[in-house]
Amino acid sequence: MTELVNRFIAIPDLLSASPILAIGLTLTAFFVGNWLFARLGKPLWMPPVLLSAVILSAVIAVLSIDYVRYQEGALWITVLLGPATVALGIPLYQQIHHIRALWLPIVVTLPLAATMAAVYAVVIAWALGATPEVLASLAPKSVTAPIAIGITEQLGGSVALMMGGLLITGVVATLFVDLLAKWLPVEDERILGFALGLNGHAIGTARAFEISHTAGAFSSLGMGLTGVFTALILPLVFRL
Amino acid sequence: MPMLRGFLILVLFFLLGEALRMLFVLPVSGGVLGMILMTLTLMLRGRVSDDLATASQALISVLVLLIMPGVVGVFFLASQFSGQWLAVATALLLGTFLSVLTTLLVMRGVLRLSTQGRSND
Repeated sequence: MTELVNRFIAIPDLLSASPILAIGLTLTAFFVGNWLFARLGKPLWMPPVLLSAVILSAVIAVLSIDYVRYQEGALWITVLLGPATVALGIPLYQQIHHIRALWLPIVVTLPLAATMAAVYAVVIAWALGATPEVLASLAPKSVTAPIAIGITEQLGGSVALMMGGLLITGVVATLFVDLLAKWLPVEDERILGFALGLNGHAIGTARAFEISHTAGAFSSLGMGLTGVFTALILPLVFRL
Repeated sequence: MPMLRGFLILVLFFLLGEALRMLFVLPVSGGVLGMILMTLTLMLRGRVSDDLATASQALISVLVLLIMPGVVGVFFLASQFSGQWLAVATALLLGTFLSVLTTLLVMRGVLRLSTQGRSND
C-alpha cells in the first residue's frame, strides 16, 4: 500500500521528463484563468494573464515540479512567440491609414514618450540603487511582451522580472490614463487610445477597446510602434 | 490547411529576421525584424492573404498563453532580487505615472498646434 502511495507521489516528477506535462499544465491554467476572469466580472486590475500565472505557479509548487524542468517543457509553447511577434505586423499594416492621417502628432509623440517611458523607470531605479541586471529588466516595461522578451534577452536582464514589471506597468498605466484623462482633462479618444497602447501595451489596448473602436485602433498602433521603436533604440543606447 | 500555410509564412519571416540578425550582428530580436519585414512586404503588396490573416489572428489571440511560462518565473526567481523591491516598485509606479502624463500632454499639445496651423492656412 505504501509502495502504491510512493509511486503515486512520484508521478508528477516522472511525467515532467516529457514536455507534455508542462504543455498540459500551462493550457489548463490558461483556460481556468480566463474562466475565473469572466466570473470575477473582468476586473481591470487583475488581467487574465496574472490570474493564469498565479494558478500555474501554485500548481507547479504543489506538485513540486522542478521549475527549470517546467521551463524546458514549456519551450514548446514559448518558441511560438517568434512567429507571434511577426504576426503583429499584420494589424500594424491594417492601421497604416491611421498613421497617414495623424502622422505629425504620432511622429512627435512616439519617440519622445516611448523613450521617456524607459528613461523615467531606469533613472528612478538607478537612483534607488538597483543593479544593472534590474535596470535592463525594467527598461522595456512599456513594450508588448513578445517584443520585450527579445529586448531583455539582448540587454542581459531577467525575463522573469521584466514580465512582472510589464504586468504591473500595464495595469497601473490603464488606471493612470483613466485618472489623468479626467484631471487634465483629455477627451480625444485617439489620444487616450494612443497613450494606453504606448504605456500599457496589450493590457492598455484591452482597456482601449472598451472605450471605443477608434481608441482600440490607436492603442494597437501605439503598442506596435512603441515595440518597434524601443526594440530598435534600447539595445543601441544600452551598448554605450 | 490555410492556417498552417499562413503559419509557415510567419515562421519563414521569423527565420529570415533571425538570419539577418546573425548576419549583421544586429541588437534587435529576429521577431521584431520579421515583423518590420512583414509590414513592409504587406505595404508593397497592398493586401493580406486569408491564410496569413487566419494564422496571425490565431497566434495573437493566444498571446497570453505564450507569455505565461515567462510570467511564472517571477514567483520562482523573486528571491534573487530581494533588497531591490523598493527601487523596482517606485520605478514602475512613479515612472509609469510620469510617462502617461508626458504622452497625454505632448500629444494633446501637438494635435492642438497642428489643427490650429491647418485652420490658419
